Amino acid sequence: MLTTSLKARMLEAFRIRMYFVTSVIAFVFFIIFVQLINLQIINGAEYEEKSRQNMENNIPIPAARGEMYDRNFKLGKNKVVLVSNRPSFNILTIPAKFETKEKMETTIRTVCRLLKSDADLALKEMHGVNPWERVILKEDVTFETVVTIASHPNVFPNITWEDANVRVYNHQNMFAHSIGYIGAISREEYRDLKKFGYKHYQQVGKSGVEKQYDRMLRGKDGYIRRIVDVRQRTEGEEIGLQPQAGNNIVLTVDYQVQKAAFDALGESRGGVVVMRPSTGEIIALVSKPDFDPNLIISKDNADVIAMLNADEFRPFLNRVIQSKYPPASTFKLITAIAALESEMATPTRTYFCSGRYTLRGYIDHDFYCYDAHGTLDLPWAIARSCSVYFYQLGLSIGPTVIMRYANYFGLSELTGIDIPGEIPGFIPSRQWKLRTFRQPWFDGDTVNMSIGQGFLSVTPIGMCNFVSSLVTNGVMYRPHMVREILSPDNGTVISTIQPERLREIPISQLTLNTVRQGMRLGVLSGTSARLALLPVPAAGKTGTAQTRSRRQDDSTQHAWWVGYAPFDGSPEQAVAVVVFVEYGVAGAASAVPIAERLFYKMYELGYFQ
Amino acid sequence: MIGRDSLNKIDYTLVVAVLILVALGILMIYSSGFDPVDKLNNGLYKKQLIWFVFGVVLMIGISIINYQTLGEYSLQVYVAVLIILIFTTFLGSKVRNTRAWLSFFGLFSIQPSEFMKLALVIILAKYLEIRERDIKRFRELLIPAALTAVPVGFILLQPDFGTAIIFIPVMFTMLYVAGADVSHLVSILLIAAIAIVVPMMLTYREWIGAEGGNLILEFFKDVNLLLIVSLLLLGITAVAFALNFFIVNKWLRRIYIPGAVISLGLLFSVMIQKFFKEYQKKRILVFLNPDLDPQGSGYNIIQSKIAIGSGRFIGRGLLKGSQAQLGFLPEKSSDFIFSVVAEEWGFIGSIVLLGLFLLIIFKGIQISIEAKDKFGALLACGITSIFFFHVMVNIGMVVGIMPVTGLPLTFVSYGGSNLLMSMLAVGILLSIRTKKFIY
Repeated sequence: MLTTSLKARMLEAFRIRMYFVTSVIAFVFFIIFVQLINLQIINGAEYEEKSRQNMENNIPIPAARGEMYDRNFKLGKNKVVLVSNRPSFNILTIPAKFETKEKMETTIRTVCRLLKSDADLALKEMHGVNPWERVILKEDVTFETVVTIASHPNVFPNITWEDANVRVYNHQNMFAHSIGYIGAISREEYRDLKKFGYKHYQQVGKSGVEKQYDRMLRGKDGYIRRIVDVRQRTEGEEIGLQPQAGNNIVLTVDYQVQKAAFDALGESRGGVVVMRPSTGEIIALVSKPDFDPNLIISKDNADVIAMLNADEFRPFLNRVIQSKYPPASTFKLITAIAALESEMATPTRTYFCSGRYTLRGYIDHDFYCYDAHGTLDLPWAIARSCSVYFYQLGLSIGPTVIMRYANYFGLSELTGIDIPGEIPGFIPSRQWKLRTFRQPWFDGDTVNMSIGQGFLSVTPIGMCNFVSSLVTNGVMYRPHMVREILSPDNGTVISTIQPERLREIPISQLTLNTVRQGMRLGVLSGTSARLALLPVPAAGKTGTAQTRSRRQDDSTQHAWWVGYAPFDGSPEQAVAVVVFVEYGVAGAASAVPIAERLFYKMYELGYFQ
Repeated sequence: MIGRDSLNKIDYTLVVAVLILVALGILMIYSSGFDPVDKLNNGLYKKQLIWFVFGVVLMIGISIINYQTLGEYSLQVYVAVLIILIFTTFLGSKVRNTRAWLSFFGLFSIQPSEFMKLALVIILAKYLEIRERDIKRFRELLIPAALTAVPVGFILLQPDFGTAIIFIPVMFTMLYVAGADVSHLVSILLIAAIAIVVPMMLTYREWIGAEGGNLILEFFKDVNLLLIVSLLLLGITAVAFALNFFIVNKWLRRIYIPGAVISLGLLFSVMIQKFFKEYQKKRILVFLNPDLDPQGSGYNIIQSKIAIGSGRFIGRGLLKGSQAQLGFLPEKSSDFIFSVVAEEWGFIGSIVLLGLFLLIIFKGIQISIEAKDKFGALLACGITSIFFFHVMVNIGMVVGIMPVTGLPLTFVSYGGSNLLMSMLAVGILLSIRTKKFIY
């Protein structure tokens, strides 16, 4: 038997230990309590969001992309729809809805026979995904196909369809480079555009107006809010958000003029750009070779794209804004302006052309003209495009002045046209030559530059801006393709693109008149004489650029024509035209007829009134 | 037999708390058994309700028996339950690879390992009461350890890691309260810590693919080398311990106690390295960092935390918790029932649940302290510790502060055996409390 005192002591020890145990228990409960506060109070919102992500598997409802119209769009009246959307259907199924694998296989094989698609491929895809995920069997099927499927539920059980939109480029190749096309968003694009609400499954403008104005055109996808359980079985569905169609766009392009330019250029490679000098509105922009955007966006197009990519003439290249060439004789206008504006020459200055010019120096060097022009003043030198005249004029004023004026007219800068991918032209400088070739600038270089050869290269859009500034007395506008952005129902104008002045080049009336006169004479009895009988008085300058070609034959010459009409009208009436033909057979001869057809067409359409 | 007097002696607070908790549990089993896609309930709540009725009967029945009778038959009870447990381990029915159930005519099944908890607590309480005066001796700890180790071993064979592991802290608590030497207990805990930490570090490094660099870890990696070193150390310890009988010297104690701790710790870590399955080691690691395995057992914890967190302050309402209803939460009617409570009833519901548990546990402690004899005190303490460790391990797991172990939340989780065992245990507590007034 324990003694009383021992028992009391042991009881006391027991109680102390029980109290310790109690405090440990209280501590553990406290820790749990703190963790609950942490999870439910402090981070509750975050976990609620995660829980929402768990159960929501939303199905997007694609928004209709905005349409595009040509410049003659009028509310409620005529409109030339350049780009539209065609409602279509996608055929889809949910693998888990089939009772047995055999039934599924039979059904899929039957439906694939109807859809003319690969049943084995579809079945393979269906086995690969979560059985409750939707599998698209075929995109863009006809309404008749849907009717067939819908009216035979016994033959096609668990086969359903959804609405979809397919982009339609109504004039195929004609607007391939100006309007561009759309495509599935790439990894890089998604990374950059994610912050603007783009989703990985969406399509995005890949080039041209489609790319530049993508955020206007795309609208906002809606979605069906779908609550799923852990196995992706659907518990409930409701419209979460109605899709919001994209805005429509009215282009500055005139379908008729674009078509004329497209047809006139024919099978030649090159580019045409027609612009209103007084606003910068692009009336036509054509580049060739081209492609059909409808083929690019269609689903089974891998071979078409591969073929286009492999094409040595690079049909994806927009030659108006993405390639540069020597400006050739069209540059003589710059040389003339530089001479007059720097007051180193007057319009009446004459030089003699014997068909050849010999530059005296370390090694004598002969430069040729295509003819022996005799004695010429400046306007006639422009009209006849006499190279010997400009060799001597160029040498007399020096290269620096020429370069300075070329830069004034923005030929080495971007014009800022509202379609992506533009490249600047190139104007050399003495320092550049020294840096690049470790050689000083020679007189021979000046002679070459005076007639637009040598190191110079310009883009057709850059030349177009230059010619335009001759019309507007030196005011240069930013070229643009979009005139108005309309609400999806065309009911309201969301924004109107205003002309934007790029620069104002101070240029004297005497200089302008001399150059214009030279260009006018060129049309009346010079290199552009083919245009003399046009119903509208035109003025222009030809150019024949020589480039080092892979093949040393006749077609190493590119043809230019830059000019405008009417010669004697107000700047608001005028339209500037630049035609560029790559490897034109006989130089200027292949560019002038294209300009001719364009002016005829525009005259018919009443452009010069 | 139940007169006015004994009715007055019933601890109504305890009974009411338990009844509310079980009722709440049945409600949550109903909620988590609902399939919103098929609009059907799996009906588990009905089964739980039947178990509950059984449980109440058993609770009342045992509360009117004198708990001291249990003490007298403690060995018989222990041996009987152990035999059933062993029988189950080899011949029981297999559910998800664990042979832990005895099925009766396919109608219901019993999990003997649950009742083993109670049998162990009874026999430990009795043994420790008898050995009250000698408990400070180290060798007095060997019998309780053996009594615990035998059922734990068989439960591990089933294999049911979660159930097995709960026996050990219960035993330690009882030893501590019974007056065991703290330094003995701490030494054992240290051995266990070394035994667990070493394999964990190695598994972790192997899993994340860390290579070389650390000499000590390289040494630990070689199991055979580790075995030799630990055996060598054990030898030195044994020599020091033997010398201790001839030369009484404090200096020797300083060798053999830490020597024993380190060498045994390493020895056990070698055993864990060799005998534990890779997934068992990974489980503990996943607890430490659930992101290691977001699709495996880490997934459960991530989903559980989402469920609890998304309940926020007031909860999402009965049948409205998307994590539970749409099946993102695993084992929602059993191991993760607390997450359902927290999701559907929010912080308020969680606190009410915790409060009820705290009330039951503190009532148990009070009954233990006020018990008339040492057996009653230890028995009440053991029962309370069963409750406490279930709550700690289960809620600790679902809120992400304890490793994943498949352990039910007493009174609340679906599971007949655990509920019956818990109700029996409450009955015993009531009996101890009632007898307090008999002198």
